[in-house]
Amino acid sequence: MSDLDQKLSALASRFDAALTGAPDEKALDEVRVAFLGRSGEITLIRRSIGELPPPERPEAGKTINAAVEALEAQLQSALASLERRHLDAALDETIDVTFPAPRAALGTLHPIRRIMNELADYFERHGFAVVLGPEIETDANNFDALNIPPDHPAREGLDSFYLRPDLLLRTHTSPMQVRTMREHQPPVAVIVPGKAYRRDAIDARHSYMFHQCEGLLVGEGVHFGHLKGMLTGMCRALFGPAQAVRFRPSFFPFTEPSAEVDTTCPGCGGSGCRTCGGSGWIELGGSGMVHPNVLRSVGYDPSLVTGWAFGFGIERIAMVRYEMSDIRDFYENTPAFLEQLG
Amino acid sequence: MRTPIAWLRDYVELNLDTNAIVEQLAAIGFPVDAVETRPHISGVVVGKIVKLEKHPNADRLQVCTIDVAREQMLTIATAATNVAEGQVIPVATIGAQLPTMKIEPRKMRGIDSEGMLCSAEELGLPGEWFEEGIMQLDVSCRLGADVVQMFGLQYDVLDVDITPNRVDAMCMMGLARELGAALGKPTKVPETSVSYGGQRVDDDGAIVDVSFDSLDVRVTLESLDCRRYVAQRVSSLRVRPAKSWMRVRLALAGQRPINNLVDISNFVMLEVGQPLHFFDFAKIGGKHIIVRDAKPGEQIVTLDGEERTLDSTSLLIADESQATGLAGLKGGQVSEVSETTRELVIESANWVGPRIRRMSVALGLRTDASTRNEKNLAIGLADLGAARAARLLEQEGGIIHIPRGFGKTPGELTVVKLPTTEVDRLLGFTVSDKEMIDALNALGFEATVNGMMLHATVPMWRGDVTIAADIVEEIARIVGYGRVPTVIPAVPEQTVTSDEFHRERLIASTGAALGFAEVFSLALQAKAVETRWRDAGIDVPKPVEIRNPLSEDQRYMRFSLVPSLLEFIARDGAPRALFELGHLFSEGASDPIEQSVATFVLAQTKSDHPAYTDPTFLALKSKMNALVRAACGSEPTAVRATYPALHPGKTAALHIGDVVVGYVGVLDPRLAFAYELGGPVSAAVLFLDALPHATAASYRSASRFPAIERDLALIVAPEVSAGDLSDAVRGNSPLVRDVRVFDEYRGAQIGENKKSLAMRVTLQRDDATMTDAEADGAIAAILAVLRDRFEATIRG
Repeated sequence: MSDLDQKLSALASRFDAALTGAPDEKALDEVRVAFLGRSGEITLIRRSIGELPPPERPEAGKTINAAVEALEAQLQSALASLERRHLDAALDETIDVTFPAPRAALGTLHPIRRIMNELADYFERHGFAVVLGPEIETDANNFDALNIPPDHPAREGLDSFYLRPDLLLRTHTSPMQVRTMREHQPPVAVIVPGKAYRRDAIDARHSYMFHQCEGLLVGEGVHFGHLKGMLTGMCRALFGPAQAVRFRPSFFPFTEPSAEVDTTCPGCGGSGCRTCGGSGWIELGGSGMVHPNVLRSVGYDPSLVTGWAFGFGIERIAMVRYEMSDIRDFYENTPAFLEQLG
Repeated sequence: MRTPIAWLRDYVELNLDTNAIVEQLAAIGFPVDAVETRPHISGVVVGKIVKLEKHPNADRLQVCTIDVAREQMLTIATAATNVAEGQVIPVATIGAQLPTMKIEPRKMRGIDSEGMLCSAEELGLPGEWFEEGIMQLDVSCRLGADVVQMFGLQYDVLDVDITPNRVDAMCMMGLARELGAALGKPTKVPETSVSYGGQRVDDDGAIVDVSFDSLDVRVTLESLDCRRYVAQRVSSLRVRPAKSWMRVRLALAGQRPINNLVDISNFVMLEVGQPLHFFDFAKIGGKHIIVRDAKPGEQIVTLDGEERTLDSTSLLIADESQATGLAGLKGGQVSEVSETTRELVIESANWVGPRIRRMSVALGLRTDASTRNEKNLAIGLADLGAARAARLLEQEGGIIHIPRGFGKTPGELTVVKLPTTEVDRLLGFTVSDKEMIDALNALGFEATVNGMMLHATVPMWRGDVTIAADIVEEIARIVGYGRVPTVIPAVPEQTVTSDEFHRERLIASTGAALGFAEVFSLALQAKAVETRWRDAGIDVPKPVEIRNPLSEDQRYMRFSLVPSLLEFIARDGAPRALFELGHLFSEGASDPIEQSVATFVLAQTKSDHPAYTDPTFLALKSKMNALVRAACGSEPTAVRATYPALHPGKTAALHIGDVVVGYVGVLDPRLAFAYELGGPVSAAVLFLDALPHATAASYRSASRFPAIERDLALIVAPEVSAGDLSDAVRGNSPLVRDVRVFDEYRGAQIGENKKSLAMRVTLQRDDATMTDAEADGAIAAILAVLRDRFEATIRG
């Protein structure tokens, strides 16, 4: 074994020992500098090649290069094993996953908005537009154009807040039927979600301000069966696929024939429970075929077009949907309410 | 309307239990709001007290011998004080079940008592409406008869909801007729036949012939609002309690029995739907009944003892000297039937409904009569009402005179003609000609089919049926709304669009996505809200006032959504991020102004920050920018501005082009103080109608070459805004891709009356990699401009 080989071999043993003893990346780097660095031991050995006879120098150079390669590989492997140790150590760490996380602020939509959006989604899927309107209405739009002349007994149930003799807070979303039909020629297919006001004292079931969703389809060949179809679909979208819809005769001045609309009680599926008072049905609101006088009041010809309309309380739908018992919860907006239903 | 099933059964056969009747009524448009279940009573029979003796061992008891048409008389001891020999009374026999007890044999002070005499209350009737003590039956009742069967006390009482168009059904006859039509059963009509005239025994015992045709009262109708007036005189009456069956019927229907005369007028109204008034014949001044408008200021004392001052809205019944009643609404005290009444005049009149309604509203008085009269009763009902009352008064011993009618007579019956296909056209299902005819005839119409046309003659009591659609509804009610098919319509293209709704929806969902919780609050408020704002020194528009509020808490419409949001924050504390979409109201020059807005409030916990970079403001501004970006596709420019409720020095108007789409700012500290808000609060409003709709964007390719960023720290005067500086940099060179001011500093290091703004400028070329030299050149040009325009210097 040549002198060079001996030197390299001794160096390799020391290198190996140094690597083994190096606890971290910094120590490894120090080993690299000490042995392989610009002024490290290998450099000293390389310089000693000059002391050899020229014919031996190429061979010696090769030997040194091979040794350096081996050392570098060793260094890489030491680095890799160190990284592995770090990862193993990281994998061994545990935390208390039950420790409470800070509450992230999540924005919410009010349940009334959610129901409005669901109604809009359903009706838009079927080609309806969603329109909005003013809450201050003329007496003429709110009543007269809807076939409710002054002194009509039906005004009783629609006790209004008046701003002036001719201006009031709309008692229903129905005046938007009139506004929409006056501005557009048939066919007209709209729903109108929005606020309405009636002079009711506030209690668990009543509020002077509430939200309604009006529906209106007018065109050639429109009949009551189309309303039943749309409402059956609407109830299924809102409450589930087993919902049925039934009509009961009723009276509204702006529709003829008129009907109350019931849907299967989602609470019990129709067998009777507290939500539905044992009847198995939930009342949604009023509906009917648009009265010929209303069609005439907007310039439509009732012999050419027919139409239906409905008006449902959004709070009512939401209360059934969310099993709520007090309508005031909607307007008090407590954090608990908004976080649960928003 | 309280509807005893027992009473309905007088006119139609009902072999159905209560639930089935309720369902049937609902199916034809008469939902039942409540069912009053009658208590179970059995073993109560009609008995007659044939002997009454003092109890040998008890001063306060009497012993009755009672005939109940059995082999043995019953011996019953009673503590009641209103018993007398000859009385016919209800007797609960041994084994009888009463609402609160079961009758057992028992000894009362040594006497075996075989039952109990019953009060009305013990039969489940309102005790305070009947005689104190034992209930008195009529001497004509069959002894031994079952009292429950006789009165129909086993049948429940329904509270039926009757829609305002169906005044014909606001009576027992009417509902019975509807049930009969639905069940295919005939209905009986109340008896109205009487004999006119007769003989009367005078108080001194003399027999007097009474003429059958002597109304002896003139009737003058001065108002066309009285369409018909039937007057009928009845003589020879005695005021006493009504027959027990009538009192029971009335009590079950919720009407307190008074005496035979008053009860008959109430009974006829509940039975056939025609309100009546009885005048004491003796009290009609000048024997002249005049129907006329009230004079302004005229006064009347009504039957309830109220003195009322009238105006010309009121329509009166008067005699020659004074007002005697409010037409169709309530009688007056002057001509009231009393204990001494021997003769009366039946008034059975028909009124123009709206007139009665106006009068009722003006007087704030609603009666059972007015709720019917205001709905345009059928004219022919006036004659029926009088005739029925005459029949019942005859049974009370009255001598009946011929009725006299004034005003209109019932006109010809309406005939509605419609194509037989109309049901199909409106309801979407076919009904055979026979089904249509049967349904209508069952309801009292006379229907025929003539080729393709259906002719329906409307019965006189159905004034609500005038057009084809009405006939379609009648047919559908009887054949069943269940026949309506379920069809999804193919909705054709239309011109109506949903833009406004979609904008609201987008604002709401973006608001939620940005961490805000949406609230819905009530839109009416007290004066106090406005006062609180004004007292704090905030400008408030003139709020819109409700003329007829339910309470002072709800007299005004909201002029801002901020107050309720602040109240929620005051209640719930920070941190809180809320928003609401809604309308604002204020008085305008002529009409009230209604504006659709979205209002946001951000309440944070206290933090230390220099006054000139308010993080509350920036946090909300960044969210408002995002909202506007979402709604219009472009970022708004902030311009210093003022807006009520916002801090005058810390508020920006948000501009899209020249349009102000909203405001964002720190809450006015005076409001924060007024609402006792601790931490920093900022608020913003967006005007939904001002937001331009997003226009189709066009894509600008991103450069594929690296960008160079340079940070500049510039010293400027404090009034130079970050916005002005950024605009100047942006406009300087096409190489500038982005400018962002990221810090502001004031302090000793840069001297007084100066501030340092740090900005990052991003430079980039589309066609090549930019060299450092190019960047240096661009920055030098920028600095030159900033030096010229703002005297900006580089911070050394």
